[in-house]
Formats: sequence, structure tokens, C-alpha cells
Amino acid sequence: MSEIHIEIDNVNAYYNGNHALKNISVKIQKKQITAIIGPSGCGKSTLLKCMNRLIDLTDGVTYSGKILIDNEDIFARKTDIVNIRKKMGLLAQKPIPLPMSIYENIAYGPKIHGTKKKSDLDAIVEKYLKLVGLWEEVKGRLNSPASQLSLGQQQRLCLARGLAVEPEIILCDEPTSALDPVSSQHIEQQLLKLKKDYTIVIVTHNIHQAMRLADYVIHLYLGELVEHGLANEVFENPKEERTRAYINGIFSPDLKIDSEENLKGKMCPYNFVYAKQALHNLEDGKILKIIVDDPLAVTEVPRGMEADGHKVLIVKQINKKDWEIVIQK
Amino acid sequence: MNIRRLKDNISSRLMLAATVFACLLFFSMLIGLYIRARPILSLVPISDLLFSSVWGPSDGKFGFLPFIMGTLWVTGLATIIAVPISLLSSIYLSEYAGNSLRNAVKPLIDLLAGIPSVVYGLWGVLAVVPFIKNTLAPALGVETIGGYGVLAGGIVLSIMVFPIIISVTGEVLRSVTQDMREVSLSLGATKRQTIKHVVLRKARPGIFAAIVLGFSRAFGETMAVLMVVGNVPKVPASVFDPAYPLPALIANTFGEMMSIPLYDSAILLAALMLLIVVLIFNILARMVLIKIEKGVI
Ligand SMILES: Nc1ncnc2c1ncn2[C@@H]1O[C@H](COP(=O)(O)OP(=O)(O)O)[C@@H](O)[C@H]1O
Ligand SMILES: [Mg+2]
Repeated sequence: MSEIHIEIDNVNAYYNGNHALKNISVKIQKKQITAIIGPSGCGKSTLLKCMNRLIDLTDGVTYSGKILIDNEDIFARKTDIVNIRKKMGLLAQKPIPLPMSIYENIAYGPKIHGTKKKSDLDAIVEKYLKLVGLWEEVKGRLNSPASQLSLGQQQRLCLARGLAVEPEIILCDEPTSALDPVSSQHIEQQLLKLKKDYTIVIVTHNIHQAMRLADYVIHLYLGELVEHGLANEVFENPKEERTRAYINGIFSPDLKIDSEENLKGKMCPYNFVYAKQALHNLEDGKILKIIVDDPLAVTEVPRGMEADGHKVLIVKQINKKDWEIVIQK
Repeated sequence: MNIRRLKDNISSRLMLAATVFACLLFFSMLIGLYIRARPILSLVPISDLLFSSVWGPSDGKFGFLPFIMGTLWVTGLATIIAVPISLLSSIYLSEYAGNSLRNAVKPLIDLLAGIPSVVYGLWGVLAVVPFIKNTLAPALGVETIGGYGVLAGGIVLSIMVFPIIISVTGEVLRSVTQDMREVSLSLGATKRQTIKHVVLRKARPGIFAAIVLGFSRAFGETMAVLMVVGNVPKVPASVFDPAYPLPALIANTFGEMMSIPLYDSAILLAALMLLIVVLIFNILARMVLIKIEKGVI
């Protein structure tokens, strides 16, 4: 039943002789989310850039092997890379709006591919802004510069812009690492929704994100493919010791939690007040963990704590509604 | 107070003093020029000074129009020649050329910027002027006075402003980040489309600043222009006519004008006009560049 969309076959990549990808062979399923995980510098971005050949822009890079997309080898000399790239949307690490208006950012791709009529473009812009849930927020100011949006809005705009060229694949390179927790969550939800129509490949060094999103996982380490397979299997029962170590390493950072406070169901600013009270009872340097479910608290509590001179160590989502915030006094 | 703080204090004060001195120098120049130009400003209406084309200092007629128009013609022509060529070459250098070519060309362009202007003038007299006189003008069937004129001045000046426009534009293009290009390419744009719609768009204010900087250099340039434009105080009607730009007027006549009443005041007024125009251009361009550096544009 599952269908292969991207077939990576024995790919090697070198930066000026530095061997960044070593004999990578892996198949990526159609209309599924595949997460590429691994520590930084292990070649995740390089692998992603091979898939749309943006790697060509880097000086001194060489690569070999095959990547088949719909049975077309994108490394082959005769392949028209511009057409291949049209099939793939890219969502980068931080949002990069083009230096034009919100409207033009979305219309840019379709225009380049020949859509000329204003009414068609209007319809496209509206459709994709709605798809990423940005329409209501920006419909009154479509002609203002895209750079005036907040980071989270910009990233959704970038997603819409990529979707507007009607790709089949969405490539994401740590798409939420520059965003605040709420915006990150927003993007993750979009990706989950988009999965029914698109093949999604997401690079992430956030293992929790991979767990929340991925159907399949590819674990890279120092340019090698360590393990790949169904996300459940890899996370619950990794075959490789290195995968186990990576997952565990991230799971239990060497933090000794001195006190824990469950603030679920408490609204801002009461959760903040309770957290402060709990901290007050601790000695300096001790660590408090709180669990919150108010989305406002996710940004406001860490901000308030830092303003009070405490150190915020971890802010992460632990399930659909709840967030964990770890603070050191 | 400890000794390091003291040193810090003294050196920052010295630097402040130097800055203040430089600014004072500039303002004293501006004020000095204004005071010396005041006699003519109070005797001749400013509209006559700017818009009359009769230049007869011995009859008390001071119409600056020929000089203003001469400056505009030569500067305008130089800009028209220089802008497309230098933009294309800086786009080529920053977007298409390999690293080795770029590294080889850059010092060459810096060298061009450092050549004294009198050398450009000589080159104009020895190469450009004869070319216009013997080849271009006969081929087009126009009269020139020995090849000297706006065209020769424009060509020589354009070559003098190349380096400024090329190097500033190059900086601006390089400030457009790689990921911006990647975004456009990832949407299926070709390289040409990416450069045209994204890189140049992003770089537009900076390119504008580069052109303005080039223009203001051309505006004030004296020596090379003076040697090839013919120096006839008449409003030019075509690029083959001679012209007499403001800087050439100042350089040619200063010193021989003392006996004629108001003559020196008129020349200093010319200097004041030049200074103000170049100053405005420079401030404009710098403001744009500073904004780009701060990431506002
Ligand atoms: N432009 C480049 N030039 C040279 N080496 C690079 C370049 N980009 C990445 N590398 C190297 O390739 C390896 C893989 O990098 P990358 O794919 O960016 O890793 P990741 O995305 O997993 O953090 C690293 O060792 C990195 O230093
Ligand atoms: Mg990376």
C-alpha cells in the first residue's frame, strides 16, 4: 500500500574533500512525514539540500549517487533541475520573506511559472493564506512588506509561498527552531494537516518534535545513516545502540529536579504567581519544574522568570496540551 | 581613578576633539564661501545668477546657466554611460564569476579608483578626443571643435566613476544573503529570474546609493574634465558641443580675476553651489547605505 516517493541511492557528498554524507541509501514514503534526526553537523541539511539540489550553490561541493523522484534521477545531467525544484517546497530554519509585499511573496512562484491573470493570482493568494491560517490576520494588509509580520507569521507565509507553486513534496530544515513555542506548535499542526496531500521531509534536532510528527525516522550520525524505519519502532525499540544513546541522551538531560509543581488549569498570571511562590521556597541554584497548559504561559512565564533574574533551562511541549518549563533559581 | 580608565578617557576625548575639528573645518569652509559670495548675492538677483546665460564679467553680467548646464550635461552623460556598464559588470562579478576571477578583478578596480585624475585627462586628450575628431564625428557627419566637448568629457568621467559604482554595488549585492537566493530557486525560479526579481530588488536602495555616489564624484571632478570639454561658456545643445562645467570655471579663472569687480565673488559662489550639491548627494547616499547596514531596508 505504501508508495515510494523519493529514493535515495548510495549518495555521497563532500565539501572540499570533507566527507559529509556517506553511502546514504533510503526510501521516503509518499504522503507521510519523514523526520531526519541527528546531532548538529551530522549532514541533515546536506541531505535535504541534495534533494532539491540547492547544494549546487555551495562552492567546492561534489556529490555522487542517485536520487530518484517519481523515477527521475535528479542528479542526472539531462534533468531540468528548475522543474524538479518546482515539485518541492522548502521551509528553512528561519523565515525568509522575499523583499516584497505579503501578496507578492505568495504570487511570486505562480507568476514565475506563468500565471498572469490578476484574478487567478488573487485566488491563489487567498487559498494558500487560508490554508496556513494566515488569511484572517493579514487580509487587510496584503500590500504591506512581508518583513513587518511577526516571525511566526512569516514562517507560515513562507509555508504558503512554497505551497503556492503546487509542489508534491515539502522539505523543512528545522522549521521551528527560530520560533516561539506557540508559533512552533502552529507550524507543526499545519504540517500534520498537510500530510494527507504532501510528502513531508523534516529535518529536526528536536526529538520530541520528531515524535510528535513523524511516521518514519531517519537517524544520521557523522554523515552515516545509522537507522531508519517506522517512527514508533525506532523510538520505542531502536535496533542500533547509537540511536538508543541519542534518544536517551536527549531524554534525560543531567538535571536534578528539586521541586515540581503542576499548574495545569491555572490561567495567566496566576500560574506565574504560583511558580514564583514555589521558587521562593527553594534555595538559590535549585531547580523547579512546572507543567502548564495555558498557551500564554508558555511565553509569558519564561519571560517573567528571566526578568526576575532566574534562569529558564527548558521549555518544551510534552503532549498535545501540556508544556514543561524548567527554571533554575 | 585607575590608569587604564584615565587612558581610555583621554583617548576618547582626543578622538572627539579630532572629530569636532573636522566638522568645524567643514563648516568654516561653508561659512567662508558664503561670506565671500555674499556681495554678488546681494547685488544680482538669484534668478539671474541661476537662469541667465550671459556670461560677461567685465560688463558685470554673471549668468551661471552655461556652467550649470555644462556640468549637468557632462555629469548626466557620464552617468548614462557608466551606470549600465558598471551595474552589469558588478552583477556579473558577484553572481556569475568564480571566486578566482572576482579576486583577480577586485584589486584592478581599486587600482582604477586610485589613478590621479590628471592621468585620465591625458588619456582623454590623447585617445578619446582624437577618436571623436577623426572617426566618430566624420562618421556621423557632425562638426566638433577638434573633438573637445561634452562627449569626450562624459566618456572620461564615466570611466572615473566605474570603480565607485562597481565596488559599492558589489558590496550591496554581496549583502543579499544566500538563503534569499535559495528561497527563490527552491520555488523553481531560474537564476536569471532570481537575480532580476529578488537580488536586484533587495539591492535596489543600495544600487541607488552607489549611483548617487558615482554621480557626485562626477559632479565635482575637475582636472580630467577641464582638459577635454573645450571650456566654452555656452549652453551645449548636443553632446558634440563644447561645455564649461563649474569646477573647470573655478580652476581656470581663479587668480586672474582680481581686477574685475565681483568676479571673485561670483567664482566663490560657484564653489559654494558645487559644495552644497555634492554634499546633498553624499548625505543622501550615505543615509541609504547606513540604513542598509542596519538592516532597515
Ligand atoms: N558550506 C559548507 N562548506 C563546508 N562544509 C560544510 C558546509 N556546510 C556543511 N558543512 C559540513 O558538512 C557537515 C554536515 O553539515 P550539515 O549538513 O549542515 O549538518 P546538520 O544540518 O546536520 O547540522 C558538517 O561537518 C559541516 O561542517
Ligand atoms: Mg542543519
